[in-house]
Amino acid sequence: MSLFGTTSGFGTSGTSMFGSATTDNHNPMKDIEVTSSPDDSIGCLSFSPPTLPGNFLIAGSWANDVRCWEVQDSGQTIPKAQQMHTGPVLDVCWSDDGSKVFTASCDKTAKMWDLSSNQAIQIAQHDAPVKTIHWIKAPNYSCVMTGSWDKTLKFWDTRSSNPMMVLQLPERCYCADVIYPMAVVATAERGLIVYQLENQPSEFRRIESPLKHQHRCVAIFKDKQNKPTGFALGSIEGRVAIHYINPPNPAKDNFTFKCHRSNGTNTSAPQDIYAVNGIAFHPVHGTLATVGSDGRFSFWDKDARTKLKTSEQLDQPISACCFNHNGNIFAYASSYDWSKVRTPGAALGAPRQQSALGSEGLGLSCDSSQDSHVSLGRSPSPPCKGKLQDFLKWLWGFSTAFGQNPAHRKCLASVSHYGLLCSWAQKHRQAGGCTL
Amino acid sequence: MAICQFFLQGRCRFGDRCWNEHPGARGAGGGRQQPQQQPSGNNRRGWNTTSQRYSNVIQSSSFSKSTPWGGSRDQEKPSFGSFDSGASTNRKEGFGLSENPFASLSPDEQKDEKKLLEGIVKDMEVWESSGQWMFSVYSPVKKKPNISGFTDISPEELRLEYHNFLTSNNLQSYLNSVQRLINQWRNRVNELKSLNISTKVALLSDVKDGVNQAAPAFGFGSSQAATFVSPGFPVNNSSSDNAQNFSFKTNSGFATASSGSPAGFRSSPAFGAAASTSSAISTSAPAFGFGKPEVTSAASFSFKSPAASSFGSPGFSGLPASLATGPVRAPVAPAFGGGSSVAGFGSLGSHSHAAFSKPSSDTFGNSSISTSLSASSSIIATDNVLFTPRDKLTVEELEQFQSKKFTLGKIPLKPPPLELLNI
Repeated sequence: MSLFGTTSGFGTSGTSMFGSATTDNHNPMKDIEVTSSPDDSIGCLSFSPPTLPGNFLIAGSWANDVRCWEVQDSGQTIPKAQQMHTGPVLDVCWSDDGSKVFTASCDKTAKMWDLSSNQAIQIAQHDAPVKTIHWIKAPNYSCVMTGSWDKTLKFWDTRSSNPMMVLQLPERCYCADVIYPMAVVATAERGLIVYQLENQPSEFRRIESPLKHQHRCVAIFKDKQNKPTGFALGSIEGRVAIHYINPPNPAKDNFTFKCHRSNGTNTSAPQDIYAVNGIAFHPVHGTLATVGSDGRFSFWDKDARTKLKTSEQLDQPISACCFNHNGNIFAYASSYDWSKVRTPGAALGAPRQQSALGSEGLGLSCDSSQDSHVSLGRSPSPPCKGKLQDFLKWLWGFSTAFGQNPAHRKCLASVSHYGLLCSWAQKHRQAGGCTL
Repeated sequence: MAICQFFLQGRCRFGDRCWNEHPGARGAGGGRQQPQQQPSGNNRRGWNTTSQRYSNVIQSSSFSKSTPWGGSRDQEKPSFGSFDSGASTNRKEGFGLSENPFASLSPDEQKDEKKLLEGIVKDMEVWESSGQWMFSVYSPVKKKPNISGFTDISPEELRLEYHNFLTSNNLQSYLNSVQRLINQWRNRVNELKSLNISTKVALLSDVKDGVNQAAPAFGFGSSQAATFVSPGFPVNNSSSDNAQNFSFKTNSGFATASSGSPAGFRSSPAFGAAASTSSAISTSAPAFGFGKPEVTSAASFSFKSPAASSFGSPGFSGLPASLATGPVRAPVAPAFGGGSSVAGFGSLGSHSHAAFSKPSSDTFGNSSISTSLSASSSIIATDNVLFTPRDKLTVEELEQFQSKKFTLGKIPLKPPPLELLNI
């Protein structure tokens, strides 16, 4: 849909809407740009599970397609395959063995894509667009969980056309996450439900929302024993809430923090507040990444309650993000997320921030500085240094140019560097024993 | 938990948030929401600087602040007045104070409420100026229900609409609908920012109305403001459980009153006889403790509310209209012996308390009595005042109770023993 920008009359010109005409901010972090990006906004990203050798990235877009790339260790991305839906794809996920990809779309169906045969069959049906899809692998069952705007949560055995189970939601499902045996669903009207999946999925608890505005994204995190213990919930108001399910001290353990806001320190001028479009937890370190409508991504440490790093501002909102299975690669998608609907009819880019509509792309952010940091394990002195290096290792990058019309394709290639992380380490040195 | 010294002095800054125990306040609070300590805890971390605001809990009695805004408002919204003053009355543990519960509001609650409203205004300003997504629900305090008037539309939904309109080549209607939504949002935000009295009341009711809106039932939606005049139903329905609590208390009050001044009950026949005089009911209401005090925050309201509120008459056809519309809600009513029993009161002459619990009279209809009795007996732990122990009865009285019908002139003045009642 390259006409995305023009036909709507939303008034975007392809080329010169960046912050300053001269600098091209579509990839300020100089991360790797993925080749053959989808033609329209990317709604979801997912990396393959560890059972599959290599890294495969799946992205669903508003161009009704799902694309698969192989990401090599060098950072090279090779487009592998593509499947189509009849409506925009809102969510994708992998099966635990890496052989199938499940895609959820606005055409009210969900499909199972067998990568080996490159066939996709429909496995789910809802009465409204399917917003979330997750694969559940339990000891005694495995199924696909789909959450939809028809206020239901359905569990599907892929072989049958009838759902195994249907759970009613109080409102439309906006986002969900699953780490067996826990599932979290955040709905419209600030609804929040936790499910336990042992034996069979059942509602575990309804939680009063710790946020004041619409829920946008949710991600479960695990504790040191690798058990899911809580979740991070992002809202449209530039805020993320960290919520533990059974904390020893709810008052102290649960908290929220502000993110994706402009001019954080200057309190006199009104802040710009952006939605948190995605949250992802690093599979190894447990640090979390948030991506927002402001076109930035940030890494946070929820245990130390600090911000680790914020990227440069991209010229477009970042609509999705994902870590690969070992945390070495962080992928984020830069594309319009419909956040600037203030004055339809006029140029949708509000003067506050130029944003290019109709441009989308995929970026891989990587850290090439891993060579300089060798030691892996946790060395007792100086404290936290080992952690820092581990942390650094998961961002590696190098540039590739990508020659396409920047107006319609956003590509990001860069190397991330971590001057900021030094201050982070310093902070932790003061903290004495490293708790991470 | 440690007893809060400040609360004992009447000046605890944290109110319900306080981590120490507030003796007496908790029990009387009934079904009030207990706020978690999260927000205050977070504050100390410094992550969330505005969380202090979030942790304010609006005491239901805070609604009583309507007085400073003009007591006449209570006429318009008697249901609210009833609910909240009931709560505040409850806090004082006795319906006798129903005359003026407002006076005993602690300054904490007023401050909390003010802070809440300020918070809302501020949030609205931030919302407008910040350019954040506007189609979102909003709640002023975390873990509270949403404020009405805001719809939740995710960007994806909006975008899907756009796509749909695009295919049908009808972009203009999409733009129009979006513009409409935006205008709606803007109006609501401005409304909240300006905060006149009615919006304040609506807000407070929204905030308190946790029961109905906890599970995001969009039932109120944007019509909340419009249907404000009769929110009494949802409020009352949700609080009917609380009402039960209140009814218990009032029953005890009732019981004490009955033991103390049986004469007071003599008016009950008048109550029954004068079926349609609201004044009779009103005057006897405090003595009866028919739940009025809980409901109408002071007898003062009991005069107005019958006229103003319209709870409908769930099976109160026999009752005088005012009573029906009065504080006696459906669940509570049977406890006091529904319509039929009232009629029965009149016929029994001047034995009020006996009238209340006269099992052997057929005019009552066993069902109504049994419900009332069961309610009262279940409520009242000490039954001495409502029922006399058997040994205290004279032979004659016992005989009367045991017989099928009372004989005039020999009707006992004491309530019957519990054992004789056919429940």
